[in-house]
Amino acid sequence: MIVCVAVVGHQNNPLYIQSFTEADDALKLHHIVHCSLDVVDERVNNPKKAGPTLNETFLGLLYPTENYKVYGYLTNTKVKFILVTTDLDVRDADVRNFFRRFHAAYVDAVSNPFHVPGKKITSRTFAERVSTIVKSFGLSSAG
Amino acid sequence: MANYLAQFQTIKNACDHLVIAVEDVSDLWPTVKNGFEERLPFKRACLNNKTRNPVFVEKLPAEFILTTDSRLRSRFPQEQLLFWFREPYATVVLVTCEDLDEFKTILKPRLKLIVQNDEREWFIVFVSRAHPSNDQATKMAKKVYAKLEVDFSSKKRERCCKLDIHGPEANFWEDLESKIMESIKNTLDRRVQFYEDEIRKLSEQRLMPIWNFCNFFILKESLAFMFEIAHLHEDSLREYDELELCYLETVNVAGKQRDFGGTDRGADQAALLNPGNKPLTQIVQDDSFREFEFRQYLFACQSKLLFKLNRPFEVASRGYSFVISFSKALALHESIFPFCMREVWVITACLALINATASHYNGLVSPDIEKEFYRLQGDLYSLCRVKFMRLAYLIGYGTDIERSPVNSASLSMLPWPKPAVWPSVPSDASSEVFVKEKMILQETARAKHFAIQRKPLPLEPSVLLREANRRRASLSAGNMFEVFEGRPSFIDGSGSDISSRVSPSPKVHGISMSRTNSSPMNFESSIDRPMRLAEIYVAAEHAMQHTISDPDLWKSLSSVKEFEQKYLELTKGAADNYHRSWWKRHGVVLDGEIAAVCFRNGNYDLAAKSYEKVCALYAGEGWQDLLAEVLPNLAECQKILNDQAGYLSSCVRLLSLDKGLFLTKERQAFQSEVVRLAHSEMKHPVPLDVSSLITFSGNPGPPLELCDGDPGTLSVTVWSGFPDDITLESLSLTLIATYNADEGVKALRCSSATILKPGRNTITLALPPQKPGSYVLGVLTGQIGHLRFRSHSFSKGGPADTDDLMSYEKPTRPILKVFKPRPLVDLAAAISSALLMNEPQWVGIIVRPVNYSLKGAVLHIDTGPGLKIKESHVIEMESYANVSQSTMDMANCNGAENNGTLAVSGEFKQLTLQDGRIELPEWASDMTSVLWVPIRAINDSLARGTSSVAPRRQSIVDGMRTIAMKLEFGVYHNQTFERTIAVHFTDPFHVSTRVADKCNDGTLLLQVILHSQVKATLTIYDAWLDLQDGFVHTRQGDGRPTSGFFPLVISPTSRAGILFSICLGKTIAEDEVKAQHPVHPDSILNIRYGIAGDRTIGAHTPMVVESTKPNGTTQDLIFRSALVLQRPVLDPCLAVGFLPLPSGDLRVGQLVTMKWRVERLKDFENEVSQNNDEVLYEVNANSENWMIAGRKRGHVSVSTKQGSRIVISILCVPLVAGYVRPPQLGLPNVDEANISCNPAGPHLVCVLPPALSSSFCIPA
Repeated sequence: MIVCVAVVGHQNNPLYIQSFTEADDALKLHHIVHCSLDVVDERVNNPKKAGPTLNETFLGLLYPTENYKVYGYLTNTKVKFILVTTDLDVRDADVRNFFRRFHAAYVDAVSNPFHVPGKKITSRTFAERVSTIVKSFGLSSAG
Repeated sequence: MANYLAQFQTIKNACDHLVIAVEDVSDLWPTVKNGFEERLPFKRACLNNKTRNPVFVEKLPAEFILTTDSRLRSRFPQEQLLFWFREPYATVVLVTCEDLDEFKTILKPRLKLIVQNDEREWFIVFVSRAHPSNDQATKMAKKVYAKLEVDFSSKKRERCCKLDIHGPEANFWEDLESKIMESIKNTLDRRVQFYEDEIRKLSEQRLMPIWNFCNFFILKESLAFMFEIAHLHEDSLREYDELELCYLETVNVAGKQRDFGGTDRGADQAALLNPGNKPLTQIVQDDSFREFEFRQYLFACQSKLLFKLNRPFEVASRGYSFVISFSKALALHESIFPFCMREVWVITACLALINATASHYNGLVSPDIEKEFYRLQGDLYSLCRVKFMRLAYLIGYGTDIERSPVNSASLSMLPWPKPAVWPSVPSDASSEVFVKEKMILQETARAKHFAIQRKPLPLEPSVLLREANRRRASLSAGNMFEVFEGRPSFIDGSGSDISSRVSPSPKVHGISMSRTNSSPMNFESSIDRPMRLAEIYVAAEHAMQHTISDPDLWKSLSSVKEFEQKYLELTKGAADNYHRSWWKRHGVVLDGEIAAVCFRNGNYDLAAKSYEKVCALYAGEGWQDLLAEVLPNLAECQKILNDQAGYLSSCVRLLSLDKGLFLTKERQAFQSEVVRLAHSEMKHPVPLDVSSLITFSGNPGPPLELCDGDPGTLSVTVWSGFPDDITLESLSLTLIATYNADEGVKALRCSSATILKPGRNTITLALPPQKPGSYVLGVLTGQIGHLRFRSHSFSKGGPADTDDLMSYEKPTRPILKVFKPRPLVDLAAAISSALLMNEPQWVGIIVRPVNYSLKGAVLHIDTGPGLKIKESHVIEMESYANVSQSTMDMANCNGAENNGTLAVSGEFKQLTLQDGRIELPEWASDMTSVLWVPIRAINDSLARGTSSVAPRRQSIVDGMRTIAMKLEFGVYHNQTFERTIAVHFTDPFHVSTRVADKCNDGTLLLQVILHSQVKATLTIYDAWLDLQDGFVHTRQGDGRPTSGFFPLVISPTSRAGILFSICLGKTIAEDEVKAQHPVHPDSILNIRYGIAGDRTIGAHTPMVVESTKPNGTTQDLIFRSALVLQRPVLDPCLAVGFLPLPSGDLRVGQLVTMKWRVERLKDFENEVSQNNDEVLYEVNANSENWMIAGRKRGHVSVSTKQGSRIVISILCVPLVAGYVRPPQLGLPNVDEANISCNPAGPHLVCVLPPALSSSFCIPA
């Protein structure tokens, strides 16, 4: 299950963060997303480590923790998408697909002329679209 | 082959280096032993690795063993093959011989026997004991050695070397070493080949049922071990890696249910770095090994090699993944383990890895690797810390664990341990339960600072109470509610989120009641009754005590204090290592955890420092939610430390966070703290930066535009982020001129205390006159209580919910524009045509505002000399539109009299002049208006008529009068406009005369021509002529023309003529003249006239100033003009003639002689008695044009005889070039009537510019 998705601006400021847990514990997910920026930074700043995936937007698994997984995606405007999931066996392709759709939604949201670049995304449409994408996550593999 | 396992282990333990066999044929070993062993270990060796590439090995250890040694003797051939790695890698045959025959007969056959075993790599060392002085022996030894070489060395391989015991050793040792190396290399190659073949064979059978992992393992590890003793660690490591891979593939083959292992005592302590922890024979099972022990064993072997390769980083890296993956494996088999075994294992594994890698780490790696290494250390510490917290929580130390996001993230997503059965309370533990219960009851939820109400973050994946009871065999989840049912006090007492989150619904309630009722017997039994929280804690503690075999770890869990110490140690370890890695955020966040512990222990100084770091991290990147969690803690620390400045700024930061993050009540608490501090006596008052809290901007829309010198009021929007009204004792705002840096800043001060409402406020500031330019808002400063504050500009937080959302991203908008000085108003004369002199007239002044309001303007009027304002009369003002309208009407009505009467639209006002100033009416502020000022020009001189013969010389200046005006206007009368306008006055007529005809009877017809000089219709009612002495009217009339001519109407600028007939009369003596005509010696023309004109055009009827005139003929005006009537020159006495100039051209600066000839035309003898032979002359010349040398005035003597003449010469220098009037000669003593000028002097002469002086052109 995806517990959290986040959009983080190129100055590492949160632009959109949405958790999908029932419990009132969004703060811990904030923490996870925030700390995962360490890994993103590390990969971005060390091109050697990034290796062949240098030009790829999908950063892959950021955190191999025991209980949850954090995936990252970096757009060419240095906006980061972070996905936290408690599914421990996630197919890479699913995550890639998720991020691609998420990216499209993000691009639509920020193309809104009333959106101020660098400000939090407050669009309700975007939130709805994201929750649709989150809900459909992994369905293709299951089906 | 599994049987060999034990043996294999012992062999492995017994030998850890290469063996070189020494075949001591001639009992030489004792002699050479020392020399040989001194060479060990071999300093430099070149061996082939598995892929047959040369590898240089430093310090290769080896041992020389005599073939007679028991270690080499008693071996079975099969063993030898299997454990080949321990067999000698080279055989050194030591021989000596001093006799050729002996060599041939004894030694050679024996040697042949020894070396016939081709399996061995051998070579012969010939030891010569011959003394160098003994030539014979030396020669013999050489011969024998030569023979030996012939027999045993081949072309392919040198197998002999010679050692002279007494002689110089020379190259022997090098030779020996190279031979040994060659042998070792060959042997190694051969054995590697052998093992590889064997392994391949075995691998091919891997899928067969008879396949035995043990055999594979022995072969593989033998090979690995062989590499290891040959110091080919890389190869060895590769073998172990392959072995691990193979094991993981085979061990998880479905169907084969194997024992996992790890159930032994002490298994909870990770043995992943100690390969000898447990003999392999103890973990072998069904031709394979138990996973738990074997995987740790493999990892231990790998890490041992990695350490030997000096790669502690890799140990850490592999170790971390190993711990994670092994922890997963443990999770699969968790039910067979003691309670929390998995957690304990991870803790010990991490600690072991941390210690081992840190001690082996020497820092000699690239910076990248170094960062990564510290990151891994941090990860290991972090993992260890999480598991440790979990254990502590189960024991009941949960209240001492900070419910921070980081702890919540790691603990609430970490599942509970899943033992087969949750441990139950031991029977004798009731006192402990009581203690824990007390602890739970005493514990109060730690109140957040500022009374912040926030649901604490969870530290548990699910409610422990439910989970523990569910995992007990006899209870199902449904019974959960009985727990709460039975002990309602618990719900209130625990105060933790556990109880608050689970609230039994009435429906479930009913069901559970029935269940309880149905089994009342079981309820009391300790097994079936659901456990209480305290019991769970005690049970967990007991179970863990059984699980944990490490006394240190158990000690750390034995009390809250110990726990805290260990917790701090782990947290610090993680934080410090993260700080040294790329992962700064991880480090800083953990600093926050340390701060929390410091805070709890009263170490506020440290806590504040750490909290500051965390806050800076979150604030820097705008993670407000997280910041809102930590900032109150920092504020509390600062409050306790009495760091007022810090506390204030923290409160301000709290206030400037997103409004949604705190309740209004909480934000009000922050504000009250700020206000309280601001009004208190602060020891060191600091300016407070409230940029994020109080923001400001100009009003949307175009900037305020002011003309130069105008003050104004500036309206500024100020957003207050305070939740309540806040009183600002003072407020000022700076303006910064754009494009003009050196202009400095101007502060605008708000006069009184301001109360800011939450949200948008509009503040109006008085704006003193500014220099031209455009201005932006600078800094807002002010005071709250005693506290100065300043707000720089838009902060990032910004007023998000305002309509000026984007303003901080935009370049700062000019708020004020002060224009460059420009004309704001224009004052001009309404008419340009002349007005009547000496009569009260209206002077129109057009007041034209140029896009600027003249509200409240005051006009000062100051008339120049010769001009007087009729103060008794009102001043009229009307709009200019009216004037032009009336002008048009005027044109239509053709002369109708309507000055100002058409102005009925209300835009007409009569004003009075007070102290020379007039206040303009309101309606005139924005429109052009005309001010009619009654005025009278005074000219005392009499108008003079001119003769039509002489050119008419009219000086405009005579009639020119000036009116100086000063207009004060603008809001504060700060603007002034000064203008002096000229008004032209004139007489109504200009009179010129001419003698129209000279009759025979001496009657002269004098034609008087009247030129109208005004733009008004003049009507002449009467005209008469008062003649001067010497002239009389004909027929003794009164000098009036026939009255039938009148009234005579003269249109503007037209002419009329009147004829008077006069004749010459007797000249009266001078005295009489004086007596008769005291005023004028000239003739006076009197004209009574009327005028009809409009003031908007020019001259007009003088307004009625006073009603003192006796009759109604006030409109009739009298015009008097003096006329010069010249008697004809009847008796000229003298003639003056200008003699022609000597040369053609006059030049500036050139002397020229002007000559006049004076000639007496008539005999003067009898007429004038005295001085008649002397004539006074005078030369008049413009001194700017001429310089006269000589006497300008003087007497010359001319004979009184008729025809006498004289020439007057004057030396002149022309001063300017051009056509100039030449000097004139006049004779002042002689009446003009008696002088005849013939020929007349030239009017103008041409003066050329000076000739160029060549002297100026010569260069000096």
